[in-house]
Amino acid sequence: MANDNYDSSKYPKYPIEGFDTLPPDMHLTPEAIAEGALPENVPRNPAAWTHVHGGRMDTDPMWITMGPQHPFSHGLWTLRVKADGEMVTDAEPIIGYLHRGWEKEVENRTYPKIIPMADRLCYAASMTYTHLYCMTCEKALGLEIPEKTKYIRIVADEINRLQSHLMWLAAVGTDFGNFTGFIWATREREYWMDMNVRLCGARMTTNYPRIGGVRNDTPEIFDRDIIRCCDRFDKALWDIITLFDDNSTFTSRMIGTGILTREQCANLGITGPAMRGTGVDFDVRRDDPYDNYDKIDFDVPVLTAGDSYARYVVRVEEMFQSTRIIRQAMAKIRALGKSAPYRLKAPMNIPAGTTRMRMEDPRGTSYMYLVSDGTDKPYRLKVRSPIFNNVSSSKQLVTGCRIADIPVIMAMIDMCLGETDR
Amino acid sequence: MVEYQSILDWINFPDPMSNPYYPFGDAYNLPYDISMKIWEILGGTIAWLLNLIFPNNGISGWLVCDMTANFFALVVFMILMFAVPFIGCLVSLWEERKILGRAMDRRGTMIGMWGFLQCVADGLKTFMKENVQSKAVDKMAFMWTCSLVIGVSVLLAIMVPLSGRWFVVDYGSGLLIIMALYALAPFFILVSGWAQNNKFTLIGGIRAAEMMLAYEIPILIIIATVALEAGTFNINGIVQAQYDTIPYFIPQFVGFITFLFCATAEAERAPFDLAEAESELVEGWQTEYSGMKWGLIMLADYLRGYVSCAMIVIMFFGGWNIPFIGDWNNYMPEFVFLLKAWFVFLLMILIRVGTARVRTDQILNLGWRVFMPLAVANLMIVLMLKVGGII
Amino acid sequence: MAMNYLEEYRDGRHRTWKDLWVVRPILVCCRLLLRTTIHRPVTVLYPYEALWNPDNYRGRPALEFNKCLGCGMCVRMCPCTAIILVETPDDEGKPVMRPQINMGRCSFCAYCAEYCPVDAMTVTPIVELAEYTRSDLIYGPRRLAYEHTTEGMKVKFEETLISDYKNGNGEIRHDHFSIDRPELDEKKCISCKKCAKVCPVNAITMVEHGTNAKGRPILWPEVKSDVCVSCSNCIDACPKSALKMKEVL
Repeated sequence: MANDNYDSSKYPKYPIEGFDTLPPDMHLTPEAIAEGALPENVPRNPAAWTHVHGGRMDTDPMWITMGPQHPFSHGLWTLRVKADGEMVTDAEPIIGYLHRGWEKEVENRTYPKIIPMADRLCYAASMTYTHLYCMTCEKALGLEIPEKTKYIRIVADEINRLQSHLMWLAAVGTDFGNFTGFIWATREREYWMDMNVRLCGARMTTNYPRIGGVRNDTPEIFDRDIIRCCDRFDKALWDIITLFDDNSTFTSRMIGTGILTREQCANLGITGPAMRGTGVDFDVRRDDPYDNYDKIDFDVPVLTAGDSYARYVVRVEEMFQSTRIIRQAMAKIRALGKSAPYRLKAPMNIPAGTTRMRMEDPRGTSYMYLVSDGTDKPYRLKVRSPIFNNVSSSKQLVTGCRIADIPVIMAMIDMCLGETDR
Repeated sequence: MVEYQSILDWINFPDPMSNPYYPFGDAYNLPYDISMKIWEILGGTIAWLLNLIFPNNGISGWLVCDMTANFFALVVFMILMFAVPFIGCLVSLWEERKILGRAMDRRGTMIGMWGFLQCVADGLKTFMKENVQSKAVDKMAFMWTCSLVIGVSVLLAIMVPLSGRWFVVDYGSGLLIIMALYALAPFFILVSGWAQNNKFTLIGGIRAAEMMLAYEIPILIIIATVALEAGTFNINGIVQAQYDTIPYFIPQFVGFITFLFCATAEAERAPFDLAEAESELVEGWQTEYSGMKWGLIMLADYLRGYVSCAMIVIMFFGGWNIPFIGDWNNYMPEFVFLLKAWFVFLLMILIRVGTARVRTDQILNLGWRVFMPLAVANLMIVLMLKVGGII
Repeated sequence: MAMNYLEEYRDGRHRTWKDLWVVRPILVCCRLLLRTTIHRPVTVLYPYEALWNPDNYRGRPALEFNKCLGCGMCVRMCPCTAIILVETPDDEGKPVMRPQINMGRCSFCAYCAEYCPVDAMTVTPIVELAEYTRSDLIYGPRRLAYEHTTEGMKVKFEETLISDYKNGNGEIRHDHFSIDRPELDEKKCISCKKCAKVCPVNAITMVEHGTNAKGRPILWPEVKSDVCVSCSNCIDACPKSALKMKEVL
């Protein structure tokens, strides 16, 4: 196959110096934030509006409840916004409509039976949470899994990252009021779903990783199709990028809206692409590598602007990096051959103790904390969902924006309520 | 008194212009002619049957006399005048669905006749839906604004002439009348958004009014420019002036592009559908309407889209005439007009495919900082051409 | 084919964001419109056409009736408790225990097929399962049959032992069900024979080891290692927790 050999010289080194989504004069300084200023003189702090309205405001603000069944909320959650005309002066997120008692439910199940349940935490990228759960259990067992499994898991993870990002891209299309982007991104997602089917037989809830390995070796048909799919995707994504990026109706609504600073990001516990969009150069895959990510050559896109457009650019660039990772990992899997072990026999009981593990979910850093008591069931399993923290930043994000900007800003956070409410 | 023997004595097709009650003066009107003939067949048959049963009764004679024939012909005329824009708007709806589908790599509607019957199915469905109405709405305003939006749109669609012989009225200021009716709907939308007693509809209604500030003035400037170049506000005159010289989209290309965007905004189509922005305001000002009301509002939307296209065809594409074919233009000018309107609708669809919804402040910026200077520049170009004696 | 998105971005691709610049995306859309008008769109007309799926596609589970042992491994592993064992007459009319699946609860995780020791339970590509009532969704053992079972539908469960892997014998993969065997703690055993009764493959024989103080025989279970499928039923049935699964790692 032509694409078996991975050539790192084709790819540039990131971060590239000297560029940003915002022009230099629009960069935020701490003093400007304290004054309540935003680019294009949009006041963030309502108290600073006096110069706009001639010193007094006669209008009554009203609370608008958007959700739980509202086109902008991808899932079941409510955003109450206080609107003064078109301007948002306050906001309050309400979650909990999708609470299923996940953490309590798993305490009654044996360790292998939790794997299908971990799939249901986030339906857009099911394999990442399953992977995290299996890694947590392996760490508790002190189990060192085979090399091939690590690479297979990397491939599966990146396929799911692509799926999740494409679902986000599709949602961005509808939130902007453009249906074309939705359909195109969903079409591309279908190809990665097909890859899931070839790998393990299911489209969304894959139930693929196991404690000590993965469910099955990569089938022949998967080896054949995955590189073709990568090649196709690298070309097809450019069409979607042209639609979203060369289009001032999209970019003018993303640039300069929903600005977060590094300080806010740290205080709110925001992780993932939203954090990397504000200039924090951190990725668990690179900085705390798990599963042979340290042996793979990839870059972490970081932008310093902190607006919606920076988050958008980070996510799109991550999609390109994902195909890059898949190519390398598939080359490694091929080199290891079919006879290499892919699944170790894990003991039924996990010795008593506490274990913690984190990984880079498509949406941020997800984290699991396992308290085991020596039996075949966990005593406690805590999940830290990145979206739970990201959604709590919605007040800071939407205050000072227009009502029309709320779907755009919240789309860039990439909500997934399955893991938020658990 | 004529002696009526057979059915053919009852059904004779007189020249409609010789009817003393002919409402269109000197101009020949094709739809009136058609409706007169339809009534001749209908009324003549009824009169003949009545006369067979009750010979020499008065009603039979009354049914075919000039005054009655004129009255019933006008009734048929009204139905006919509504039916043609209605069909045209259904076709444009079908066109939008198919082309949007293909541009998105899907198939569009698939029910019968390459998907055309899906429009009919949707219409029937909305008529059968339950009418849900909130208790809190202001019922009077709720009903009246809805009826007025629909009524004004239907009136508009009927007012557009399809050719020199297919019109309702032939005013000297025809373009201005259409424009005036066009600008009415945002007021009803504003009141409707208020009357529905819903926060989303209120914002939607205010947005509709806010948006009108942006595009109304460039539109009027461009209409004035076209009238300046043609020397008349009469639609017939504008079309004839373009046939005599060249279609106006060549000298007024800037005006044409500006008007295309403004007319898209006027019809509240994407990307300017702020008033019904479904991602943030659930369905905008239409949120509380359901069932048949909502279906008719959608129909009114597409009728307004059709009128936007028709105005562009009249003002920039030479109306129902095709240049250089001479007398062949007399055969099917109505059909040529509709084809051109559907072509302009195709441009609107392509704009919709590739753009996202704009914000209120953006459309105000756009209207006043981009469209307004462009419209004035267009006016200047036409003035210079006019003064220079080129056109 | 260097994917150089950010670099192209730096080269001024996005400088025009303030203008009404929508021409290029519209042209891209027109290109696709032209392509889909000449060729077909990618969508599949679902009820008339169907996508190709590989053999291991996870639709509803299927059961090969005569191959099934009735060991209840699927019941034990089902995360949704969708499976129960029911008494069904087999081909000779003898009552046997066979799984019955409630498709309304099934989550299509294929654990039942994976953990089946004899590959009697398989996955199938059938996904059209809509019914009019909930009771129609319950698939009895006979209704679970599927004719066109291929080798790919039998989900294999082969593991490498940790000890093998550490010794460098990674390519040796064991069938999961031929490794673990129940082990008896003789002090706890009360010779109740419950383990022998529940064993689905009759792998347990009660062997006499002398007599106790009251003169009754002391019976200890002995597991036939080649027949046992390590289903843990005897362990669950043991009233004194005398049996334990001895895991080989």
